[in-house]
Formats: sequence, C-alpha cells, structure tokens
Amino acid sequence: MKIAARHYCFIGLAVVVVIAMLIDYRPELEVSDESRRMFEYLDSLPEGSLLLISFDHEASAMPEIRPLALALLRHAFARRHRLIGIALMAEGTGIGYGLMNQMAKEYNCEYGSDYVYLGFKPQYIAAILSMGESLPQTFPDDYTGRAWADLSMLAGVRNYGDLAGVISIADGSMVMHWVEYGKGRYGVPVSAFVAAAMVTTFDPYLASGQLTAMVGGLRGAAEYEQLIGRPGAGARAMLAQTSMHIYVVALIVIGNVVYFVGRRKGRGR
Amino acid sequence: MRRRLPQIICGLFGLVLLVLYFSSHATAKTLNLLILVEYYQIIFAFTLLVGVVSFVRVNLQSIERGQDRPYRVISLLGLAAMPVTAALWGIGGGSPFMWLFGNVQVPLQSTVFALLAFFVASASYRGFRAHSVPAAVLLVSAVLILLSRSDLGGFVSTYITPVAEWVRNNPSMSARRAILIGIGLGSLTTSLRVILGIERTWLGGESR
Amino acid sequence: MTIASALMLWAFSEGLWIDLAKVPVLVGTCICVIVVLYTTYHRKSRLEYHIREIQGLKAIEEAIGRATEMARPLLFTPGWGGDIQRPTTIASMNILGHVAETTARYDCPLIYPTHDPVIMSVAQEVIKESYARAGYSDRVRPDNITYVSSSQFGYAAAVDGLISRLEPASVFLLGTFEAESLILAETGNSVGAIQIAGTDSTIQLAFFIVACDYTLIGEELFAASGYLSDDQTIKASVRAQDMLKIAIAALLIVAVVWVTVDPLSTWWRFE
Repeated sequence: MKIAARHYCFIGLAVVVVIAMLIDYRPELEVSDESRRMFEYLDSLPEGSLLLISFDHEASAMPEIRPLALALLRHAFARRHRLIGIALMAEGTGIGYGLMNQMAKEYNCEYGSDYVYLGFKPQYIAAILSMGESLPQTFPDDYTGRAWADLSMLAGVRNYGDLAGVISIADGSMVMHWVEYGKGRYGVPVSAFVAAAMVTTFDPYLASGQLTAMVGGLRGAAEYEQLIGRPGAGARAMLAQTSMHIYVVALIVIGNVVYFVGRRKGRGR
Repeated sequence: MRRRLPQIICGLFGLVLLVLYFSSHATAKTLNLLILVEYYQIIFAFTLLVGVVSFVRVNLQSIERGQDRPYRVISLLGLAAMPVTAALWGIGGGSPFMWLFGNVQVPLQSTVFALLAFFVASASYRGFRAHSVPAAVLLVSAVLILLSRSDLGGFVSTYITPVAEWVRNNPSMSARRAILIGIGLGSLTTSLRVILGIERTWLGGESR
Repeated sequence: MTIASALMLWAFSEGLWIDLAKVPVLVGTCICVIVVLYTTYHRKSRLEYHIREIQGLKAIEEAIGRATEMARPLLFTPGWGGDIQRPTTIASMNILGHVAETTARYDCPLIYPTHDPVIMSVAQEVIKESYARAGYSDRVRPDNITYVSSSQFGYAAAVDGLISRLEPASVFLLGTFEAESLILAETGNSVGAIQIAGTDSTIQLAFFIVACDYTLIGEELFAASGYLSDDQTIKASVRAQDMLKIAIAALLIVAVVWVTVDPLSTWWRFE
C-alpha cells in the first residue's frame, strides 16, 4: 500500500489524541450563555416537575453523549425533578436505562415514584405524535414490563400537557422532530443535549425560541459539569478535543502552504 | 390497478393526516392514535421482516458464489447471535445479549464513528484551500469555530470566541435559515406531488 | 336519545374540529397548497418553464459515462437519516429512476445499499421499471439493491466496505445523511470516484461541499425531478416554490421594518 498524505494525517491525529487522553487535566472554563440558559431553566422549574428525558442516540456516540447525559441527570435528580425516560432509537434504550439507574442510586431516588423508564418506541415521528395524544396508550407498560397503572409517579399523566418539558439527548436530527411535532403541534417545551456536530443545525430553533435551551458537545458537557459543581468526563476530554482542534488548524495551514508553494512552482515553470 | 391502489391509499392517508393535524376533536385524536400507534407499528414490523429475509438471501447467495465470503459469514453470524441470545437468556442486565451489546456492538459502532475524526482531519487538509475569496471565507470561519470550541484560555475567550459566536449567529444562521425555508417549500411541493399522484417514481413509474 | 341528538352531541361536545391555536398554520398551509395547485393545474400557468442549470445534475451523465468507460460499477445510496416518508427520499428516488435508466442503456452495474427495508423495496421497483423503460429488463441485478443494516455505523461500515472493495467509478450520495456523510464521502474520494452529493441536512452539506465534486443544496434536490424529466407539471410546482419564497421574503422584509418602527409589535409571530 502506498502511503499517501492522508495516512500521515491519520497517524498524526492518533498520536496527538492518545497523548492528550493520557494527561489528566480538567480546565476551568468560561461558561457559554447556552449552557447557562439550560442550567437556569432546569433550576427555575419547581421541585418535583415532571420531565420526559428521551435518549435519542446510538451506541456510537457514547463518548460524547454519556458526559452530557450524566450532567443532565445529576442536575435533574439533585433538583428532585421526577423523570420519565424513553428512547426513540433502539440502541439508546439500554444505555438510557443504565444511566438513569446509575444516577438514581447516586441520589437515592426510587424507581416508580421518582423516576420511570418506559423504553423504546420505533417509528420516532409516529411515537412523538402518539405521545401527544396519549402517553399511557403509547407505552402501556414500562421497560421492565410493569403496567402503567402500577407506577405511582404516572398517576394522572395523560400526555405532554402534564409535563414540564421534554429534554432530548441526541446525536442526530431527532431534536428537529421534537421541535416540529412535539413543540409545533402539542406546544410542549423542548430542550436538548446534543453532539457538537449538531449544534449549528439547531441554532435557528434556539434563536427563535422553538427550542427552550440547548447544551452542545463535550465543551457543553464540561461547562455543565462546572455549573453543577461535578467535573467529570466532559472536563477530562477537553484537552484531547483542544489538541485535535489545534492539530486540524495546523493541517489547514500546512495544506495551504503546500498549495501555494505548488502553485508558485507551477507558475515558475 | 397495481399502481392505482397504492396511489389512492397514499393520497387518502396523506390528506387524512393533514386534516387531523388541525383538529383537537376527540374523534380526530382517536383516529390519529389508530394510524400512528397501531398501523405504523404493524407496518414497521413487517418491513423489518422483509429486510431480514432479503439480507439473509443476498448473503447466502454471495457465500455460494464465493464472493466476499468472510464478510458475509460474519454478517450472518451477527444477525443470528443477537435474537438467539435474547430468546434464550432475555435482555436484562447481565444477560449475554447485553454483554454482546456492551462489549461488541458499542465498541464497533464507536470505532466507526471515531473514523469521522480522522476523515475530518484529512478533508480539512485537502478541502480548506484559499483558492478563491469564498473558499478563504470558509477557511477562516472553520478556524474561528474550531478555536472557539477549544480551551485555550484568555486570548481565545476574549477575542476569538465573540467573533466565532457572531459568525455562528449571523451569517451562518442566516444562510441556514434560508436553506431551511427552501427545504421546507421543496418538501411541501414534493409531498403534494406525491399525494396528488403527479409524482409516481416511488411506485416505480414515471412522473405524470 | 335520537340519532340526530347523538350526532349533535358527538360533533360539538368532544373538542373543537379546528384547533384555534393552529389557525395561523392552517391559513399558511392553505395559501401554500392553493399556490401549488394553481400553478400546477391552471392552463395559463402551464407555459414552458425553464429550470436554471444545476451543475450536480448536469454531471450525472458524465459520472455514468465515466463508470462505463472504466468498466467499474456505480454506487448510489440515500443515506441513513431518512425513511420513505421523507420528501428527500422521494426526491432521491426520482434521481435514482433517471440514473437507472441511463445505467441500463450503458449496461453499467448499479449498486444500491440502504438502511431501510422499505426504501430497498421501493428502490428495487424503481430500478426494475427504469430498466424496463430503457428496454433492458434482462440487465437488472436485484442482488445489487440491498438492505445492509438499520444501525447508523453498521450501515456506514457496510457501504464503506462496498466502496473499498468494488472501487466504484462514481458515487451518488443523495438523500438524508447524518454523521456517516463524511465517512462515505472521504472513502469515495480515496478510491478516486466522482462524487455527486445532495441532502437536506444542513450540517452535512458542509462536509459534502468539502469532500465531493458536486453538491445539490437542499431544494435543488427537490427540483431535480422536474429538471431531469422535463415534465412541465413538475416544473410548474417548482415555480410555485419560487413564488412562495418571494412571498416569504416580502413578509420578512415587512416584519423587519415593522418591528424596527414598533418594537412592541408581535403580529408577525402569528401566535
């Protein structure tokens, strides 16, 4: 195999990220307005508010999504909000259940009275719409097989009208569907914790108020961890992310130098 | 009739769902639930079956022909392993199914996703060349955004972050909104063409 | 209770037939639908319409020709982000129909991997019909139109593997893409394929513009059907899009001026 320029790019990146990951450095960050807005939104809700947390991601996004999800769950459980967990993507189902149980244990929360996990519903658009009509009919029983009627926390919950809001933890465009169908059709406040790549996609919705608040990427996770006073995986990954960004900027500079030198040589001939 | 019937069904359901969107009557809600929860889920289950059957058939044929044999065998083993372990030991915590999910599926998926970082690096090296004014603008914007999402202390947060935020919230947002409006209108006309039967390519036929 | 009174009770006591909160959306939707129907069916508006040249669509012939000359296949995939309900997928199918008709004539293998069984079934139908239209039904290879995986990166890995092993001369990435977009585009680039991409996912457009030869931006994908088929009815509906766009732009300008003069005004929010 012929080694091409792209292969050197790959090797360089691997070296930079691995070295950065080995160094345990948790920086003090300047918190962005977006992260603060989410923090203040959750803080402003009265204790015991009912929130629907939707795990709308695949297993692949775990390194970025997990710190975001943990920061959110820590804050929500600490504020004693009551949480309903669901997943609109199959692979998020087990992950969401595990994370909710892990955080509930940390904050001494009881399944059935402080939080429930309803599990996965396929056909996400249909699921979002049908929950707007009737949550119990969409999820007749929870992830563990217990009937809706047996879960004390869900007594009297019919649809989005009984919730304080929906928070989507997403690595893709699911937030857009929540905004279009959940917020647009049923008026439920929608917020999001999203992978960094999706931040600019949802910026217009945040600016227009269709999205109540949004936290994005590892940087967002690190900022949120700082806000709740629990530095974790987000802060830990900041050095690797920063190193990679600087490496990519360096590649762009090198690429341009190579390009202009080549062009000058071409003209010289 | 082979095309007419699906077209009628498509048009009818398209119109019904459109009308139901604007109603808060109990009957409309019931109809909505019936279509969205019951029918969609049934259709989804059947389509999955179609996919699995096709997947198995194509892979078996390839194995028979000796084409990409190792890949095909692994695909079929993977396809069989998950439902079999789920059927035998369930999908609770600590079950073989969850073990496979956590120790095979998640790392494999994360590995492929991580490729993105490498491809971003190589695409940046190759693609961000200042060979024209628009390309230079793209390049500068990319650098600004990258630096603003990094932790480089005082200089970046004082000077670069505000500029990057301005880029994100003004030119970038304006362009994105314009594209979104165009996409919205394109989706609307395409949907109407399908509902009205003007667009029939999805049935295998030509547009009218 | 008589039948009439029971009907009256059913009609008026179980919520409103029209949700008042959605009236602004209903009015907007009606205007859009009327404009589209008018331009599509009105006799006078069915004049000859011309869609400007779209480089990405013009390059389709070149891409197929290149694959034929090099005796290498052509790969077409609709991305992982959409299902058959999405207008983008329908738009992608329209282009697929045109591409398949041309590959049938040139006898160029067309590979179509997808993440959705329904899309697979529809694509099989579209390709079969297109080959029949070109008069080469015998050249269809159903095994090339496959469902690979519903999992995002399972799909990305499968398509990547196909690109690496088959080394297609041309790659069409048209549909709804998410994080897999750059993985596919860079792999296609590494095997030296001509790449034509198009999507409604705004974030992925940036990746495609950097990594592909031609990119259809958002609505260009929806206009493709009229552009490729030269069907005046479809072109008329594309014209309706433009008319609505002008109306929206005018409304935006009015709202901006209004809110500048009267910052407390809220009518333009239509809430």
